[in-house]
Amino acid sequence: MNAAPFTGGRTLMTRAAVLGVAGLAATAAGGALDARRALYAYLAAFVYWSGIALAAMVFLMANEAAGARWYIVVRRLLESLITVFPLLAVLFVPIAIGAGRIFPWVDPVGATHAAIQPWAHGEGPLAVHLWEHRHPWMNLPFFLFRAVLYFAIWIGVAALMRRWSLSQDRGGGASVKQAMRRLGAGGLPFVALAMTFAAFDWQMSLSAFLFSTIFGVYWFAGSLVAAIAALILASASAAREEPLRSAINTNHIHSLGKYLFAFTAFWAYIAFSQYLLIWIANLPEEVPWYLTRTDSGWKGVGVFLALFQFVLPFLFLIPRSRKRAWKPLVFMSVWILAVHYVDIYWVVMPGLSPAGPRPSWMDLTAFLGVGGACVAWVVSRLRGHPILPARDPYLSDSLHYEPQQ
Amino acid sequence: MTPPAQAAAERAALAPMPLIAGHPTDVQLNTELLSPILAPGNAWKVLVGLAAMGTSMLVVGLTVTIARGIGMWGNNQPVGWAYDIINFVWWIGIGHAGTLISAILLLFQQKWRTSINRFAEAMTIFAVMQAAMFPLVHTGRPWFAIYWLFPYPNTMGIWPNFKSPLIWDVFAVSTYFTISLLFWYLGLIPDLATLRDTATKRAQRIAYGVFALGWKGSSRHWQHYRIGYLLLAGLSTPLVLSVHSIVSFDFAVSQLPGWHATIFPPYFVAGAVFGGFAMVLTLIIPARAVFRFQGVITDRHLENMAKVMLVTSMIVGYGYLMENFMAWYSGNPYEAFLFFKSRPFGPYAPIYWTMLACNVLVPQTYWFRRARTSVVWLWVSSVLVGVGMWAERFVIIVTSLYRDFLPSSWGMYAPTWVDWFIFFGTISFFSLLFLLFLRFVPSVAISEVKELNHELKHEQAHAGGHA
Repeated sequence: MNAAPFTGGRTLMTRAAVLGVAGLAATAAGGALDARRALYAYLAAFVYWSGIALAAMVFLMANEAAGARWYIVVRRLLESLITVFPLLAVLFVPIAIGAGRIFPWVDPVGATHAAIQPWAHGEGPLAVHLWEHRHPWMNLPFFLFRAVLYFAIWIGVAALMRRWSLSQDRGGGASVKQAMRRLGAGGLPFVALAMTFAAFDWQMSLSAFLFSTIFGVYWFAGSLVAAIAALILASASAAREEPLRSAINTNHIHSLGKYLFAFTAFWAYIAFSQYLLIWIANLPEEVPWYLTRTDSGWKGVGVFLALFQFVLPFLFLIPRSRKRAWKPLVFMSVWILAVHYVDIYWVVMPGLSPAGPRPSWMDLTAFLGVGGACVAWVVSRLRGHPILPARDPYLSDSLHYEPQQ
Repeated sequence: MTPPAQAAAERAALAPMPLIAGHPTDVQLNTELLSPILAPGNAWKVLVGLAAMGTSMLVVGLTVTIARGIGMWGNNQPVGWAYDIINFVWWIGIGHAGTLISAILLLFQQKWRTSINRFAEAMTIFAVMQAAMFPLVHTGRPWFAIYWLFPYPNTMGIWPNFKSPLIWDVFAVSTYFTISLLFWYLGLIPDLATLRDTATKRAQRIAYGVFALGWKGSSRHWQHYRIGYLLLAGLSTPLVLSVHSIVSFDFAVSQLPGWHATIFPPYFVAGAVFGGFAMVLTLIIPARAVFRFQGVITDRHLENMAKVMLVTSMIVGYGYLMENFMAWYSGNPYEAFLFFKSRPFGPYAPIYWTMLACNVLVPQTYWFRRARTSVVWLWVSSVLVGVGMWAERFVIIVTSLYRDFLPSSWGMYAPTWVDWFIFFGTISFFSLLFLLFLRFVPSVAISEVKELNHELKHEQAHAGGHA
């Protein structure tokens, strides 16, 4: 077994870093022109990339907690995704500074948000009333305190998982594995709750009229599909060289494909549940969030999501052969990563332009800026350590992964 | 590179308890697992007698209901739904654990499911039978139910309301029952053939032979069997989610505080699996003691089930938390009244706190291995969880209805003796069916256990040799 440190990915890292710096700089320049537009673009990008990292962490922890053995060969790749939280904490700073221009609750009666929901006549006072009611929770100091708390949890758990995993390489033994399993299980409630309330803070609070109990799960479900897509891309790319070329067999590919398939359906299930229940009850204080997205220029985006984040991937991934080869899976992963951004865009952007999508070049620069920085960071963390946890006690199970079906 | 010896030592340190105790041969497994059928004891007869007596309560309750009408039940305005729906949701939820074990754990390649899947599948079928009885009887005149529930072209041009989740229930539950039954029966076929070949009495040989459908165990048979089994597993998996999601829609599509929550579908599914695993433990712990199945249903199985219950309990707790947070965050005074006054401090408060204690607190003990491996505590706690999940449905249904929007329309609910008779009657009837199952059908999937046994032996022989 090749236990030499991984040295590949230099080109990707450099390019991503350049793209990241350029994208962030361009977005910052855009902020000088139209701060609110730039901040919204930035928020969408931030939510997108942090969601992927969070879902990857949940996936990793769940696998460790369950004592999964098959995925050991791709574990280092998955782990590299969760090293990104310190960077994300830094990237959160512009949102913290610009919160007043993004979130209506910072100053509910202020001029910035006079046009929160222009189509919904006469609901302005209700929105103001709701924000006043929520003030004990939705105020800037507490919002920032919570963000610090979320990042403390995520950085802490990710650092421990990572440290223990690396200490396996130095012969950490069974106790390290045991620790990873315990943290995987015991840390999950904290990570999940932080993710839920982050979804409320960063996305739900863009509108006064959304208080959906499933909303945290919605963000998680979409992000999980994207995280698995990211893992597939990373695995397919790393599997072009040794040691992963011989370590990953068709059954691993199949399992990754099955996860992509299953969680595509899971996202649709959650999205449908939320939509159906809010639509059918038609409550005046609840339905405006969906009306903004269905009785406006956003309608096409919603239909697009239903068709291309669910129907097409679902049908595409049904045949077994497509789940057992890199080529179709890589195609579908790129697809999923693209449509998942549309999903986040559809959640976030109507807060800025309720009448319909108004794309800006800043959307692209922010997406590439945050994404480039994250990808460069992840690849840099991946380098310098063996890409296979050679001393994991279950590595041999993973290398000989041959389920019966 | 890790020396294989070190890897083996580490795996031994991490390895949980064995899936199959000792090193039984195929013949030993046959004898051991078929003994309840081929050589039954007297305890079984006593239990069947008790269950049959309890089932007579069901007969009385149903007869009274049908003869005198559903006015014999306690539900009336404003609590128009009560025991009928509580018990319906509770029973159908219990069924979900069986499908999760047989289908989802199969897809997740969880080998430990093999010893308990047959058991859990049977539980599913019997639980769905109890569940289906309630809405059927609640129609008042069940002999007309076929006209009311199923859409069919008729000369009067009358259709059921397709916008109502109650009609979705009809389809969801009947599909679920059909698929579960097929799945269970398909899994049984090889074991029925074993019984046919092992039985000594002629009547047994004929009976099991008919149901074994001419199974010979040829590789051709096995190949078709495997494909069919996997397909049914794939079909059952979305059913686990859809059935209880649709049951949750019965409530969540309304505008009522306490019912209208978007988290309901996944939270109901998790609650169903939670309550279902509790029922599996409640049944399997005594059964494995009586039939001496500890060799194949080991402490490892019990521990794994406790872990699944911990996970689902956390999801249910997450649901409670989200509901409470949003009750405040929404700024809706009716939500706030329900969640912060009426439920925790109203006249039904004891049931509310029972629900929280049983569903959230009790399973927290499962974080500790000692609790997960104590058979006594597992049994006690599984009963408590069963009570807690029943209390949850009571809280959701009754406490959302009894305080209507106008205080003039407030009213209390109390079950009548008929309600109790039917409820305990279904528990007895379920037990009766289960006892018959234990006696006449292999309750552990023998062919799968044998296969697993061979796999484990193979693994052991090669342990450490791969690294």
